[in-house]
Amino acid sequence: MQTKTTFDPIALSILWSRLISIVDEAGTTLQRTSFSTVTRESNDFAVVLMDRKGRSIAQSSVSVPSFLGVLPMLTKALLADYFPLDTWKEGDVVMTNDPWLCAGHKPDIGIVSPIFHESKLIGFIGTIAHSPDMGGVLWGAGSRDLYEEGLMVPPTKLISEGKPNHTLFNILEHNVRASDQTIGDIRAQIAANDQGIKSLMKLMEENNLEDLQDLADAVINASEKAMREALLAAPDGSYQYSYDTDGDGRGNGCHFEITVTIKGDEIHADYEGTSGAHPLSINAVLNYTYAYTAYPIKCTFSPDVPNNDGSFYPIKVTAPKGCLVNAQKPSPLGARNITGNMLHSVVFGALAKAVPEQVQADCGSACWCIVLNGEHKGKEFVEYFFLNGGYGARPTMDGEHVLSFPTNVANVPIEVLETDIAVLVTEKSLVPNSGGEGKYRGGLGQRFSFKNVGENALNLSLLTEKTQTPAKGILLGQDGQMGAMEIIPHRDFPPKGLDKLHPGEELILTLPGGGGYGDPAQRDKALIEEDKALGYII
Amino acid sequence: MKLGIDIGGTFTDFVLFEDTSNQLYFAKTLTTYPDPTVGIFNGIKELEAKFGFPVKEIDAIVHGTTLVTNAVIERKGAKTAFITTKGFEDVLEIGREMRYDIYDIFLTMPKPLIPRNLRMGISERVDTHGNILTELDETHLQPLAKALKDNGIEAVGVCLLNSFANTKHEKVLGDFLSKNVPDVYYSLSSEIMPEIREYERSSATAMNAYVQPITDKYLKDFETQLRESGFSGNINIMISSGKLTTIDGARKSPIHLLESGPAGGAMAGVFYGTHLEEENLLCFDMGGTTAKACVIYEGKPEITNHFEAGRVKRFKKGSGLPVRIPVIDLIEIGAGGGSIARVNNIGLLTVGPDSASSTPGPACYNLGGEDPTVTDADLVLGYLNADYFLGGDMQLSVDAAREAIRVKLADPLHISIEEAAMGVHKIVNENMANAARVHVLEKGMDPRHFNMIGFGGAGPVHAFGVAKLLNTKRLIIPVGAGVTSALGFLVSPVASEKIHSFISEVKEINWEEVNTFLADMEKDGYNFLAQSGIDKKEATVERVVEMRYAGQGHEITIEIPKGELSEKSIPEIEKRFVKEYEFRYNRSIEGMSLEMVTWRVVVQGPIPQMKVKQFSTTATDAEAYKGVRKVYFEETGYLDCPVYDRYALKSNEKFDGPAIIEETESTTVIGVNSSVHVDKDKNIIIDLHH
Repeated sequence: MQTKTTFDPIALSILWSRLISIVDEAGTTLQRTSFSTVTRESNDFAVVLMDRKGRSIAQSSVSVPSFLGVLPMLTKALLADYFPLDTWKEGDVVMTNDPWLCAGHKPDIGIVSPIFHESKLIGFIGTIAHSPDMGGVLWGAGSRDLYEEGLMVPPTKLISEGKPNHTLFNILEHNVRASDQTIGDIRAQIAANDQGIKSLMKLMEENNLEDLQDLADAVINASEKAMREALLAAPDGSYQYSYDTDGDGRGNGCHFEITVTIKGDEIHADYEGTSGAHPLSINAVLNYTYAYTAYPIKCTFSPDVPNNDGSFYPIKVTAPKGCLVNAQKPSPLGARNITGNMLHSVVFGALAKAVPEQVQADCGSACWCIVLNGEHKGKEFVEYFFLNGGYGARPTMDGEHVLSFPTNVANVPIEVLETDIAVLVTEKSLVPNSGGEGKYRGGLGQRFSFKNVGENALNLSLLTEKTQTPAKGILLGQDGQMGAMEIIPHRDFPPKGLDKLHPGEELILTLPGGGGYGDPAQRDKALIEEDKALGYII
Repeated sequence: MKLGIDIGGTFTDFVLFEDTSNQLYFAKTLTTYPDPTVGIFNGIKELEAKFGFPVKEIDAIVHGTTLVTNAVIERKGAKTAFITTKGFEDVLEIGREMRYDIYDIFLTMPKPLIPRNLRMGISERVDTHGNILTELDETHLQPLAKALKDNGIEAVGVCLLNSFANTKHEKVLGDFLSKNVPDVYYSLSSEIMPEIREYERSSATAMNAYVQPITDKYLKDFETQLRESGFSGNINIMISSGKLTTIDGARKSPIHLLESGPAGGAMAGVFYGTHLEEENLLCFDMGGTTAKACVIYEGKPEITNHFEAGRVKRFKKGSGLPVRIPVIDLIEIGAGGGSIARVNNIGLLTVGPDSASSTPGPACYNLGGEDPTVTDADLVLGYLNADYFLGGDMQLSVDAAREAIRVKLADPLHISIEEAAMGVHKIVNENMANAARVHVLEKGMDPRHFNMIGFGGAGPVHAFGVAKLLNTKRLIIPVGAGVTSALGFLVSPVASEKIHSFISEVKEINWEEVNTFLADMEKDGYNFLAQSGIDKKEATVERVVEMRYAGQGHEITIEIPKGELSEKSIPEIEKRFVKEYEFRYNRSIEGMSLEMVTWRVVVQGPIPQMKVKQFSTTATDAEAYKGVRKVYFEETGYLDCPVYDRYALKSNEKFDGPAIIEETESTTVIGVNSSVHVDKDKNIIIDLHH
């Protein structure tokens, strides 16, 4: 029987930062060896180190927040329902994109590897990355049901004791567009896991650790304690907020209702009253809803303490089965990020009534996604790029212009985009007056326009939001300016969904500004003058 | 006779190498504000007074300064405008749209160096292959010149879309500016950083323009005053890659000076390594606010081109302005003598990255600082001598240090003051060792195979602890540990570094074109060296290409085979790529075609050889052993530890650790289980018995 190792505040501080640097290194490997713009330029991925029970211990600093919440849930589910603890072998790699187990839509591929130390399973390392294609219709909001969204791989060993599952690789290769990119990115995920395992072995060796369990308990307990203490300091009560979003952007909108209850050191978010499943593929599974609800709660109450499983224990999230944020089969899920990216608005809106100094106004999210598919120089491509709106104003400062929130994806450089495919970008600029007024102003949105300069039509999947509903201001702050889009020569096209961009056509996208915070009458005159001088307001 | 001058934030350091007797001389003066040349001449006078070397006998001066870095951090550059392709004026402000901290909703992004009202668009467009789609509208030029004059603009950065593929429009703008607004400095992105990715290129170009007028004025003053004082030799400037450029080179691309001081430190490591026959070394440099480490492998420092200046959140990756220039790959952590220790909100002891700086400073300075710092911990542990700090110029208070540690650390953690102080010391060492370990591992090497060299004000205090954690066998504390950057300047080669962006898959590449531009880059390099009086025959050429699997976005650097390239070179190039890729990522991808992206040619002069016979210090004949004092070690608690005077140490003197060796700028702490010997040049060599 092993005795429990305890860590003094000095040793724990040291080991904890090493765990984080291990997953960061793995993240760098993933980014550097990947092929799709969505991973290599936009960083739409995350790496998480977990203990033997699937509890997260450390996560990469460059990360998409939702993936961080989902990876431990995935690993726990793998252990409970697919691969019990004693069935894992050294050199195994498990893959799945099951939306209910993983990140809520099929392109997000989860890759989990067991970590063995002296022939004993001591934990797991997992990555989720947004793969450029999983077959079916082009990714976005255009699918009518789950089956149009392409291939679904239930939890399967992609590699068994070091031997690749050629059948699975083959199936993938024959079902997805531009398979070099998808397969290349999967390989990059495996490389990242391997890198993490290698570095962890060094740490264990140098510190004479036989197991991760005691260290995991120590960091998880510390993060849990910090979250509970912060919640305890917040006023008990039930706080409600309601919020509307575009839905299809053509009259069939979505409605969110939330009740956030803080009681002692626990918090519960309930989405009772939220609209039902939407016919567009913007429905979110509960795993994903949980992750994007817990995320703004973490930002509000315990931003400084490194995140891990412990941060989640005091947080409960519920939603009626089958509604927009607890989707059931066969609701289409492809563009569920549009919905997930809105949950911070709802949560902050409610929390503004409890802890107004700890929240921000609504951001000009969700992040807009453009996917183009066609042929360039004889090779099929699937090119993703993301665009962000203005950041919400904060209790003590303006919102930043054009900044990703709550997801955290970078843009694809214009010059990279133009190298990859036959488009010409015609504008990228800030949109004056788009930030909501307030004591502190919301950040400005951006205009991004591009033209198809190739000879063939490009398949286009577009995801826009806040073209019918603004980013809300809070505590008397004004709403941000809504987004807009247009194709020149002018014609009608869906704000969310599939279309083609024909040769010579130009798509003009105007992204929404962030909401303001506090009464505009209280805004410092000097700040107004500065905004005018810089042309942020005209 | 050669003189190295390094201007730091607090001190200006001087190292003089006298090549008839092969002796090195050191001096240190306070950096003067606002005109740092005052401090320089103070130092030169001191060297003359102390050792009798008049400035006109000096043959060459090598200089480095923090001027550029400080101008970016403090936002004290020139009034600068930015010209870009119309419609893209905000690229410089929008950046990459990504946050550097995912949980901090109160984060701020770095403000662009050039504000929105001074960013101007011009009608023109080039595509990514270099084809001109829209000719530059020359009717825009005169109004542009007027706008620059009306706004009192001193400098202009020019970055047009896809200019890495075709430089024509940027050149037209450059010519126009030099003719029509000759007083305005301008920087063209195609000259500063001709690489794909418009934000990163804009950022580097804007920064270059922003610091150009002040750097230019400073370097002019520096040169003029030196000439007036009778100096007639060569002047070279240290740049971030550990190479030297000319005054003209520095005036054109001042951003290359961003890391001149730290690069000097690394080059000093190279020098000591050669001198001590240590090819592989880990350099550890620790000062008041930061600690740095870099790897010297086979006698060379590692170079990277991922660098950020002016971070808004200290040490946080992504919170600064990107500058993709070659810099010596240094890791930097926020841990120096002034770093503040605290118990965080979850009851863990943490150190830094914020620093008590010089005012109020550590608690032991007794200047009102209440937060315990690394220096306070080192004093409590007996590592520092309260009566001999900076050679006795400053009295430290042990009581104040103990009190700060008791109140802020020991009591809340329910441990003794000594345990808390030891904790602070250990955490700093661990953080440093951890960062160094990752740094070495990333390069696929084993930290245990490196010996360590420690310098900087706090370096020798902590180097032993770091070495212990890294299982380092030998630690060297060199003579001149307080002026290492300036010493490094004297042993760095003059070099030209040319970059060319030419993206093509290996199998489709036009080798003729490649050979032509490589030859041109090489020729430019020889011409550049000629300006410093270096003959082509003495030069060495290094040609590298950044490559990736076609479809990836990040490259690795491969040395190109020598001579003319052709299809026949492909197998060798592929072999080198696969080897490097496997080395880094433990795998390669079969059947995937390769792409070549950025080409670099470095033409380098010889590395100056200094056959140092004697490191001159204010040596004394007195006995080195000063007695014992109470010093706390983790293994033993307090014990009576022997204390030595560094200036009185004799060559070949030997003793065992633990020991303390005191000198003006620093203190060397040597723990138990070690043996010390002083080599013929008075370097302290410590062997650790693990």
